[in-house]
Amino acid sequence: MKIFKQLFIILGINLAGELVSRYLNLPLPGSITGMIILLVLLLTGVLKERHIRDTADFMLQNMGFFFIPAGVSIIVSYHALDGFYFETVLVVVLSTILVLAVTALATQLFINLSEKKNGKHNN
Amino acid sequence: MASITTNTHLFGILLTVGCFYLITLAKHRSRLNWLNPLLLSVIIIICILILGDIPYDHYMKGGSVIHAFLGPVTVVLALPLYRQRKLLVQHKYAIIGGIISGVASAIISVVVLSRLLGLNDLLERSLIPHSVTTPIGISVSNMLHATEGITIISIIITGILGASIAPMMLKLLRITHPVAKGLSIGTSSHALGTTKAIEMGETEAAMSSLAIGVAALTTVLVVILMQMLGWY
Repeated sequence: MKIFKQLFIILGINLAGELVSRYLNLPLPGSITGMIILLVLLLTGVLKERHIRDTADFMLQNMGFFFIPAGVSIIVSYHALDGFYFETVLVVVLSTILVLAVTALATQLFINLSEKKNGKHNN
Repeated sequence: MASITTNTHLFGILLTVGCFYLITLAKHRSRLNWLNPLLLSVIIIICILILGDIPYDHYMKGGSVIHAFLGPVTVVLALPLYRQRKLLVQHKYAIIGGIISGVASAIISVVVLSRLLGLNDLLERSLIPHSVTTPIGISVSNMLHATEGITIISIIITGILGASIAPMMLKLLRITHPVAKGLSIGTSSHALGTTKAIEMGETEAAMSSLAIGVAALTTVLVVILMQMLGWY
């Protein structure tokens, strides 16, 4: 029963997100509006973690399963890759390395800056 | 005869559940941690469809039922964010600064590199969310009118690559702060990279799982902004 109750809550929030996105004409996809709604409900204490925990954790731990059909859809879209297999992988590889480096360096910089600032206040 | 079995909702669901179950089982039994059940399932199902001469539409009858759960899977991504809320507040400046830099570099590098290497427009759009967690990456792909299949494959490549090079890269760049380590792993290589952050330590793991959600939401906002400005 618990699983049904939790699934009902999660699906209900998903539907609420879809409705809010549509009727407020938000550029956000409904599922992401739903994610924000859930976050707000949790932060305000309207919803407790235990109301969704088991079902949510099952979905989070086995997320890959739900993407399989979308992944299989490459069978009808791989033509876009014709002649550019290597270049496509290269873009992904270089971009990933860059994102990792930029995020790490920027974060370290921001941490150092804020620590310096705090240090000054203390003195 | 064959189409009687395959042209049903049951076929696609059974094939997907069966593949995922068997591969996950093999992964645990063999302790091959690099095995990616999603990627392997996709490859095996495509092989079965081709070898069995089974139409894609037949598979998708059941596949679309599973695909419909992407909505709720996206919604529950709020839970890891909620669980890390204290860290989020504690390190807000580093998180905002680091993740905005990361998201911007992801989008800019895809656009610039795609154009340099002559990739077509559809590919370029499909690769933009390559660092984003899959359910939201698919949403971004749809927002950009790109193709889900290519986006997913690029997300998986990113995750596997991030997980394997992150420890070496961070050492090379002399990144020592656990917040910077975790944040950069989660931002660049989502949940697959986070498996490496978990091995590094508690703060790294928490920051990485926090970065997955924040970076994904930031990417969505940046893409919306780009569309409002008339790019894409």
